[in-house]
Amino acid sequence: MKEEITVSAKKTIVLGQTVQRIDAVGKVTGETPYPGDINLDGQLWMKLRFSDRAHARVLAVDTSRAEALPGVVGVFTARDVPQNEYGLVIKDQPVLIGPGSNSQVADADVARCYADCIAVVVAETEATAAEAARLIEVTYEDLPAVFDPLEAMQADAPQIHANRPGNILCHYKIRKGDMAAGWALADVVVEGEYHTGYQEHAYLQPEAGLGYMDEQGRVTVIVAGQWVHEDQEQICHALNLPEDQVRVIYPAIGGAFGGREDMSVQIVLALAAWKLRRPVKILWSREESILYHHKRHPTVIRAKWGATKDGKIVAAEATVIGDAGPYNYTSTKVMGNANLCVTGPYEIPNIRVDTYAVHTNNLLTGAFRGFGGPQGAFAAEGQMNKLAQALGMDPVEIRVRNVLREGSLLSVGTPLPPGVSIGQVVEQCAEQSYWKRNGDGWQRPPTPQPTDPAIRRGIGFAAGFKNVGFSFGFPEQSWATIELHGDAEIEEVVVRHAGAEVGQGAHTVMAQMAAEATGVSLSKVRLISHDTAETLTSGSASASRMTFMAGNAIRGAAALALERWKNEERPAVATHQYRPPKTTPYDPETGRSEPNFAYGYVAQAVEVEVDVETGHIRLARVVCADDVGRAVNPQLVQGQIEGAVVQAQGYAIMENLVTEEGRILNPYLSTYLIPTVLDVPDEVKSVILEYADPIGPWGARGMGEMPYLPLAGAIAAAVFDATGIWIDGIPLTPDRVVAALRDHGIGVF
Amino acid sequence: MKLWEHYHTPTTVDGALALLAQYAGQARVIAGGTDLLVDARAEGGFHPYPALVDITRIPELCAVEEDGDFITVGAGVTHTQIVKSSLLARYATCLVESCGVVGGPQVRNVGTLGGNVAHALPAGDGTTSLVALDAEADIVKDGQPRRVPVQEMFLGPGQSLVDSTRDLLLRFRFHRAADHEATAFKRIMRPQGVALPILGCAVWVRLDENRATFEAARISIAPVGPTPGRAGEVEQALIGQPAADETITRIAELAQSTLHPRTSKYRATADYRREMIGVLVRRTLALAVKRAQTGDIVPEGVGA
Ligand SMILES: Cc1cc2nc3c(=O)[nH]c(=O)nc-3n(C[C@H](O)[C@H](O)[C@H](O)COP(=O)(O)OP(=O)(O)OC[C@H]3O[C@@H](n4cnc5c(N)ncnc54)[C@H](O)[C@@H]3O)c2cc1C
Repeated sequence: MKEEITVSAKKTIVLGQTVQRIDAVGKVTGETPYPGDINLDGQLWMKLRFSDRAHARVLAVDTSRAEALPGVVGVFTARDVPQNEYGLVIKDQPVLIGPGSNSQVADADVARCYADCIAVVVAETEATAAEAARLIEVTYEDLPAVFDPLEAMQADAPQIHANRPGNILCHYKIRKGDMAAGWALADVVVEGEYHTGYQEHAYLQPEAGLGYMDEQGRVTVIVAGQWVHEDQEQICHALNLPEDQVRVIYPAIGGAFGGREDMSVQIVLALAAWKLRRPVKILWSREESILYHHKRHPTVIRAKWGATKDGKIVAAEATVIGDAGPYNYTSTKVMGNANLCVTGPYEIPNIRVDTYAVHTNNLLTGAFRGFGGPQGAFAAEGQMNKLAQALGMDPVEIRVRNVLREGSLLSVGTPLPPGVSIGQVVEQCAEQSYWKRNGDGWQRPPTPQPTDPAIRRGIGFAAGFKNVGFSFGFPEQSWATIELHGDAEIEEVVVRHAGAEVGQGAHTVMAQMAAEATGVSLSKVRLISHDTAETLTSGSASASRMTFMAGNAIRGAAALALERWKNEERPAVATHQYRPPKTTPYDPETGRSEPNFAYGYVAQAVEVEVDVETGHIRLARVVCADDVGRAVNPQLVQGQIEGAVVQAQGYAIMENLVTEEGRILNPYLSTYLIPTVLDVPDEVKSVILEYADPIGPWGARGMGEMPYLPLAGAIAAAVFDATGIWIDGIPLTPDRVVAALRDHGIGVF
Repeated sequence: MKLWEHYHTPTTVDGALALLAQYAGQARVIAGGTDLLVDARAEGGFHPYPALVDITRIPELCAVEEDGDFITVGAGVTHTQIVKSSLLARYATCLVESCGVVGGPQVRNVGTLGGNVAHALPAGDGTTSLVALDAEADIVKDGQPRRVPVQEMFLGPGQSLVDSTRDLLLRFRFHRAADHEATAFKRIMRPQGVALPILGCAVWVRLDENRATFEAARISIAPVGPTPGRAGEVEQALIGQPAADETITRIAELAQSTLHPRTSKYRATADYRREMIGVLVRRTLALAVKRAQTGDIVPEGVGA
């Protein structure tokens, strides 16, 4: 029996197979509860009162009229928060804004954006809570505000945080080689100023949750997030409670994409439940969700690249300015990744990059699939495609001549971790789409044109790389426990792993990996997850890390448990903490670092049709090649590729969040247009490549973000192929496209 | 979330009017609810309607009928019914094309032409075509039946001549397109099924016996003003002109230079809309002319 286990563990049983998602039936039938579906006996309802100003000191918060309203049970303000600040990276945002609170944040009475929360109202019904929230009278003293990051960097700009001069939250520098020498070698130089916009996560499930005291007297929050233990830590800090008195549970999570990485309703639910000792529920509308959670960072990127006649890039310079909104959120990390991605997956001897995260009184900005990578990649791939054009060289050929290889030095002066496959990925994508290699290298026949002269067809190419796991010296870790139950043979494998199933299929993949590691069939695996009381920390479902980190943790725990099983322990239980190789932060002057321990590599070819009269772009086809190391569940990989492509399509073409002085004007899905089934490409061809990552579990790399990265750049290149015009700003709304085309006399009848 | 207290489904016009009278301004007419309930939800459900009077069970409001040279379309006729009507496809093609792009299938299955007009948006797609068809509306206003040109239904953005807490919109009535006449509708919008157009345009043309010269035309473009309307100056300029590409181009330029659309901050800039007026008038007019010349009519762009 024991022998059999060892044998079967060698060949794969369920790993690499498309097994049905373990959560499929419950979600499709509607049986599985999401946070908004859950109700507790005797529950109260919560509404939040947000700031009415973009930048103002809150002089007074008069809650008397709200408290007097029949049915109101509690109204809480800044004074009620024991330790009034939170934040994932830096705790620089008060939970509630107002006078007289205990906070480390200087000026915790200053609202710095419209998403700053001022008061929490709890009442017997939702309608009463909403009415009471309106009755709260807030007295403001307006402060000068700033809404443009470039203006915010000026000496006379209003200061948003006293301790961050010039509103500069961070400035990263990369200095590699000798720029003057690089430019001297360049036969062509191309420049561009790239603009990228906000993006709303638009997950299916708007924020919702419940706070209550559990049977052991713990403050418990049921919510949808990306990392139960981080939510727990944030609540503990704000309520000044030890870890064992706070519990966070996730039911099903309706999508996240980074949008649930920071706090929304977690702390306020805990606060109210703890104060009132009664269950409290909150359910945001779509409008509230769009208004009050963070967005992708808009950026302005100036880039100048030079290459020799034979297509070798010799110098690259860039300045990246990201609108960080008024608080850190994950801006320091997001812009750190943009800093790395802005020179692309290419080996360039001479590089100078300056990246800034700049505070404004605009929207909160933070994590979103790709984490700064898409912004950087849009500029990098734009530069690559322009260089190819300037040199009369094929865009695939120029990439093949410059991609990072095993041992090549990154912009930050160190090699990538072993397993560099971008060269193969680029070539596979080319071959599986529109290109052929002949004696002169990679070539593509001219794009056939439709008969209608208003419609022009174009093809574009772009590539990218995305780190797997937390970067820049973050102490990465993930814990798993495996319990083997049974007697003569293993009858049940219990896996304890906290990792969030945000819809990507993480729990299915964890079960597959546990089955594989212990040599049992999938039906014998039971997963216990999403509960701080039952699991150890997993790290976040972000940075394309969950399969990689959970897989290694599960694998380690399984090996130990199997050993104990062999030694006749019943049940055989083992816990393992996986820690990947260390990374290091940017050197402040040169940027020298070992930023990441693993990467995934991606390339895309896209075909678009541009109506040159109306400016509408139809994304007809996408070929996306991704090195995923090992496709643990190929259908889930394909789902991630298609989902990322469509989300990036929205970012590149459609999604236009309009703001005016820090306020969102279109917080509705009827005016903030995301792709629907009628917009998606006719075909997304997923080319799944498996060049093993030497330290990935069964060779797997993370892959949830990378198919997102190249799309905007590939589309811009296809639009150029179709029209002959470079448009360096996204989203490519009809307005923007027509303005650019008409400037060149295109589309005029 | 509670959106209403009582829901009534009368089966006659008199029954509906009696209910409205009984509630004395507290009840509200509902057809498909695709506008009304969206607005009610946006209020958070904190002020439910005391009563809703659903007019879609009244047979005479749910029929498309021929009446000599006229066609009547009941106010309760859904967009899907319109799209499926071969009579309308042939004789009021623009209406089929405009109702065919409203929302997605779910919205078209319940949303009605009456609701589209009664909601009185500046750019309701069905409305734009009714204006080009020069339709009349049969209404009951202050208890009195009246027949009014459809354009007179609009008092301002979102403001209708019918007070939907007291009055009823019964049906629309317009001439069927005769020989040498044809219509077309096009809009500028991603065909994605969730939103109002950036710009819509409906055209009706009558050519002479030889199908070579414009005898008359009606052109409706929206949104341009606060209420749906026609491009009178442009229509006049067409009369007597040859039905040829050069005329169409010139007329499109005229439309572009004489109409002044506004910016809506999150839909489109005025510059873009002005640019699109030219494109849209040219494309729609060309299609209507082709139909009038060839008699070949297949509605375009109608959603599945
Ligand atoms: C997702 C979505 C997409 C949409 N897309 C489009 C689009 O592309 N183009 C477009 O034009 N519209 C669009 N709409 C708006 C809407 O669907 C249409 O305007 C539809 O025709 C409204 O008809 P209804 O029957 O649903 O009206 P309801 O919502 O039932 O009623 C609308 C208004 O008219 C009144 N009313 C209705 N019938 C009568 C009557 N017989 N007498 C008196 N008053 C009456 C009601 O009291 C209410 O004030 C969309 C809506 C949604 C939700």
